[in-house]
Amino acid sequence: MVLTLSVRLYYVQLLDPDQPVQTAGRLHDAAIVVPAPRGRILDARGRVLVDNASAQVLSVNREVLQAQPDGGTSVLTRLAGLLNTTPALLAKQITPCSPTVAAPCWTGQPYEPVPVASNASTAVALAVSEHREQFPGVELKTVAVPNYPGGTLAAHVLGYTGQITAADKTANPALSDEDTIGLSGLQAQYDSALRGTDGRQVVQLSPQGTVVSDAPSGADVAAVQGDTLVTSIDADVQRLAETSLAKQIADSRAKGKRATSGAVIVMDPNTGRVIASASYPTYSPQQFIGGISNADYAALTAPQANDPLLGRAIAGQYAPGSTFKLITASSLVTHGEISLDGSYACPGSLTIDGRVKTNYDSESFGFPLTLQNALGYSCDTFFYAPEAAEYYADQARIAAGHKPDEFLQKMAAAYGVGRSPGIDLPASEQASGSYADRETRLARWKAARPQYCKDAQRGFPDEPDPAQRAFQTALAAENCTDGWRYRAGDNADMAIGQGETTLSPLQLALAYSAMLNGGRIWQPTLGWALVDGAGKVVRTITPKVRSTVPVSRSVLNYIADSLNFSRGWAVSGAFAYIGSPYQALIGGKTGTAEVFGHQDTSWLASWGPLGRDAHGNPHAKYVVVGMVEQAGTGATAAGPMLKRIYDGLLGVTGPAIVTATALPRIGAPVGAVSAPPPTPRPDVPTAPQQPGAVPTYPTRPGSGG
Amino acid sequence: MTLLARDPRAPFALTATLLPLERRVRGYDWVLIATALALSLAGAVLVWAATRDTSRAQGLDPQGFLYRHLFNIAVAGVLMVVASRLDARLLRLFGPIVYVISLLGLAAVFLVGSTVNGAHAWIRLGGGFELQPSEFMKLGLVVGMAVLFVQRSAERDDAPPTTLDVVLAMTLIALPLAMIMLQPDLGSAMVLAAAAFGVLIAAGVRARWTIGLLALTVVVAVLAVKGGLLADYQLARFSSFTHPGQDIQGAAYNVTQAHIAIANGGLFGTGLFHGPQTNGGFVPEQRTDFVFSVAGEELGLVGGAVLIGLYGLLCWRGLRIAAGADRAGRLVAVGIVCWIAFQAFQNIGMNLGLTPVTGLPLPFVSYGGSSMFAQGLAIGLLQAVRRRSPR
Repeated sequence: MVLTLSVRLYYVQLLDPDQPVQTAGRLHDAAIVVPAPRGRILDARGRVLVDNASAQVLSVNREVLQAQPDGGTSVLTRLAGLLNTTPALLAKQITPCSPTVAAPCWTGQPYEPVPVASNASTAVALAVSEHREQFPGVELKTVAVPNYPGGTLAAHVLGYTGQITAADKTANPALSDEDTIGLSGLQAQYDSALRGTDGRQVVQLSPQGTVVSDAPSGADVAAVQGDTLVTSIDADVQRLAETSLAKQIADSRAKGKRATSGAVIVMDPNTGRVIASASYPTYSPQQFIGGISNADYAALTAPQANDPLLGRAIAGQYAPGSTFKLITASSLVTHGEISLDGSYACPGSLTIDGRVKTNYDSESFGFPLTLQNALGYSCDTFFYAPEAAEYYADQARIAAGHKPDEFLQKMAAAYGVGRSPGIDLPASEQASGSYADRETRLARWKAARPQYCKDAQRGFPDEPDPAQRAFQTALAAENCTDGWRYRAGDNADMAIGQGETTLSPLQLALAYSAMLNGGRIWQPTLGWALVDGAGKVVRTITPKVRSTVPVSRSVLNYIADSLNFSRGWAVSGAFAYIGSPYQALIGGKTGTAEVFGHQDTSWLASWGPLGRDAHGNPHAKYVVVGMVEQAGTGATAAGPMLKRIYDGLLGVTGPAIVTATALPRIGAPVGAVSAPPPTPRPDVPTAPQQPGAVPTYPTRPGSGG
Repeated sequence: MTLLARDPRAPFALTATLLPLERRVRGYDWVLIATALALSLAGAVLVWAATRDTSRAQGLDPQGFLYRHLFNIAVAGVLMVVASRLDARLLRLFGPIVYVISLLGLAAVFLVGSTVNGAHAWIRLGGGFELQPSEFMKLGLVVGMAVLFVQRSAERDDAPPTTLDVVLAMTLIALPLAMIMLQPDLGSAMVLAAAAFGVLIAAGVRARWTIGLLALTVVVAVLAVKGGLLADYQLARFSSFTHPGQDIQGAAYNVTQAHIAIANGGLFGTGLFHGPQTNGGFVPEQRTDFVFSVAGEELGLVGGAVLIGLYGLLCWRGLRIAAGADRAGRLVAVGIVCWIAFQAFQNIGMNLGLTPVTGLPLPFVSYGGSSMFAQGLAIGLLQAVRRRSPR
C-alpha cells in the first residue's frame, strides 16, 4: 500500500506529462459586467431631453449571505422591511434561474451580485450604508440611469427604457443582464448607438463560483458611454405643442365635447425634419426607469386611460376628413376631371348609387364654385360628382376588359397613404394609413365573408337595441353577398377622406409638405446626428426624398394659394385666425371627419409663415398638423389649438422661437452622470477592510459522504 | 449482556480500573504515539494552510480551523489516555457499549441528522458542534466483533470460530453497514467492511468463509451498481474516477482540482502557505477529504512521501502490538490497523486519482472532531492491548 501510493505520488508530481494546470487557470476567469451609461438625447439646439441621473442600486451578494450563521435569513428579513417586500420574495429573486427555479429568479451569473432595488430611495440607501454590520452581503452601488428632465416632454418620441429580458438576450447575445435597453421611441430605434459599450471587470473564480481575486490589471475594460443623439425636436416648440394640445382638450371638454385624445405634429416641409410631435394623453418615461411597477403599468394600460403609450401623431391613424381634399384635388386636376378655370356645382346633397350624400350640415351654395372656393369653403358635393363619375368610367373600363384607372387611389398612394412613412422610429410605432380600392375590397371580403354570412344568419342576439340589431344584421347580410363590391359611394367617401380612408397626422403633414416643396414626399426623421464622447459627429441623419407626387407645381401652388388665410372667410380654416397679426402668413385646410358612433374628429393641416421663393412659389417654414378626436369641426378645435402654437412660434405671446437650421455643437456632457464608478471588488462592501472574496465552505467537522 | 454475565472474572468496576497503573503492565508504545502525534500536528498545519486564506476572505479568523484542530487533538489525547488504561475485562464491557451507542447514534442520524454533500450522516449538537456516529461505529464494530469471537471461543478453549460465530459476527457487521449505506455514506461503509474483514481473518475464520465473503462482496457491489442501489452522485464519482476529464464542473471536479494541486507541488512543493491552488480555495473539501492535496502542493513529493511513510510506520507498530498480544488484543489491534490503513489508502488514493472519490477523512490529518476522537480512542486501545500483552 505504502509503495503503491508513493509510486503514484511520484508519477503525479514529477513524471505526468500532461499536467492540467493551464486549463484550470483559464476556466476560472470570469467577467463582471460594468454597464455603460446610455447616451444622451438632445433637442435641435443642444438642450437635454434625456440624460443620466445617478441611482442607488442595492444588490445582494449571495455568497456572503450564505456564509452568515443563519444563511442570511435575518439580513433578508431586515432588507425586506426596508424595501416593503417579503423575505420569501427577496429570497426567490436572488436565486439563480434554472430549469427547477422559475421566475422571479436571477437571470444573471451565479457569482454576480443580484440587484434587488434598482432605484433605492435616499432613506433606504442611508439605512443600509450606515448600518453595514446589519446588512452583510448587501451592496450599495451608484449607477447611471436614464433621466428625463422634461418629465412627459416628447415622451412618445423619446420612448422608454427597461431592463433586458431573456428574449432580448437571445436576440442579441452581446447584451448583458445589467444592460438597460431602449424599448420604444428613439430609445429603441437608436438603442445600439445609445447603449454604449459595457465595461468588463475580469475576476478569477474559485470552483464554487465565488470571486477569488482580480485578474492581472489590463484585462479590465472601461465602460464607454453611448453616443449622444441630437434630434430635430425643438424643446420649446414641443412644449408649446403639448400645452396647446392639452389646453384644447380641456377647452373642448368644457364645451361639452368628449375630446378623448389628440395630436400635433410640426415639421419643416423643406428639410423633412420633425420639429415637434405631441400626443394626448401622454405618460412619463421616467416611470419605466428601474422597472415599472405593476400598479403603474396597469394604470397606463387600463381602458379608461385611453392608451397614453400610443404616440398618436405618428402611430395613430384616423379618417382625415376634408384635409384629404388636397389629394382629391391633385388627382382631379392632374387627370383633367376638373379644370382650374371651371366652376362646378355645390348642392346641399347629392344622390349617388341610390344613397343621399350631403354637405357638412347640408350647406348649399346656389351657384357653381371654382376649385379655389370649393377647397376654401370645403364643399363636399363638389368633389362627390367627379369622383362618382371616375368610378363609373372605371366600371366601364372593367366591362370593356381593361384595368380600372383608379386615379384617386393612385394619387393617394403617391402622397404616401397606405405606406409606412419610414420615420426613424420602430416600425410598430408608425402608422401606414389606408384607403379602399377594388382589389383590396375583394381580398378582404374573401377573408371575412364566412363571418359576415354567419352574422347575417344568426343576427346579433347580444345587441340590446332592436334598431341596431336590425341594422347590423342587414349590413352583415349585404356584406355576405355584396361585400366585395366597390361602389360609387365608396369613391365619393374617399374623395372627402371618409370611408376606409385613414392617415396619421405625420402622413398628412408629409402630404402638405409635398404641396409646399414642389411635390417631394419626405422620408422624415427625428434624429439629426449621433455625436461621440469627444464631440465628434459619427453619423448625420438626413431625411431622404422617397418619391415625388405626379402633380405639376402650378397645381400645387394653386391649391396652396386657395387655402391661404389671407382670403379670410372664404377659407374655413381661417376662422380662428381672422384679425391675428400673421393671418396672411398662414394657410390651412380643415377637416371634420365623421366616425360612426363617435363625435367628429377635428383636423387642421396648416403651414406658415408663408413667403415666396426665388421662383415665386409659395414657401412655408413649418407645416403644422393638429387633430383632436371627438372635438367637433376643424375650425372650432384644431384651428384655435394650432393658433396658440403659431402665437408662440411667431412671437405673439412671448419672444419668437428661432428653430435650429444647423446642427448644434455638442461638447462633453454637462451635468450628466459619468459611468458607474468601477467597483474595485464586487464583494467588498460587507467587509471593506478585507481584500479577499468569499468562497463558501461548509462549516462542519467531518467529511462529505 | 449475557456474554459478560457468563464470564466469572468480570468485575464491572469502572472506577477500579482508573486507579494508578497496575504493576504488571508494560509501558506505552511511544513510537506509535509519536507517529500519531506527528500525523496529527502535520494535519493541523495542513488544515491551517488549507483554510487561512479562505477564512480571511470570509471575514473569519484565519487561524480558526488551526485552533479547533489543535483542540480536537487535545481531546483525542485525553481519550487515548483513558482508553489505554482499560484492562481486558473492561474491554469486554467497553466493546458492546461502544457498539450499541454507535448504533443508536446511527439511528439518531435518521431522526435529527443533517445532510452534507448528499449524506445524511451528522448530528448537530448545537453551538457549532456536530457528531458523525459512523466514525465511532468503526471502533465499536472492531471491538464488538473482537469481544464476540473471544467470548465465544473462550467457552470452547480457544477453538477456531464456528459457523454460528461467523453468522453472529455477520449480524454485528450487517446492522451498522446497512444503516450507513442508507445515509448513504459509501466511504464509511467500505472502511467498516475492511476493518471487519481484518477481524474475521485474525479470528481464524476458515478460508471458505473469507473467500465466500469476498465473492459475496463483489456480487453485492455489482448488483448495487446495476440495480440502482447506489445514489446517482455515488455512481458519478465512480465513473468520474474512470474518466476524470469528462465533467470538469461535476463529479470529477474534486479529483481534477486535487490533481492540479498535487501536480503543482513537484519535488519539494511550492512551500508552506504558498500553494496558489490551495490559497485560491480551488480544491473543494480541502481541509477534510482532500487535505492530502495541500501536502502534495505545498510540501511536494517529499512531504507527501513522509506522510505516507508515517502511515506505514503507524501500521507496522500496530501490527507489532497485534503480534505480541493475546487473542482478544490481537483481534482489536488487527481491526484498528485494517481500518486506519484502508482509510488512509483510500483517501490518499482518491487524492491521487487511484481510487474512487468517497467522503473519507485522512486519519489524524483531516479536520474533523468525530474522526479525530475515534482515532484517539483507537490509538489508546492499541496501547491498552500492548500494556496487557504478555512480555
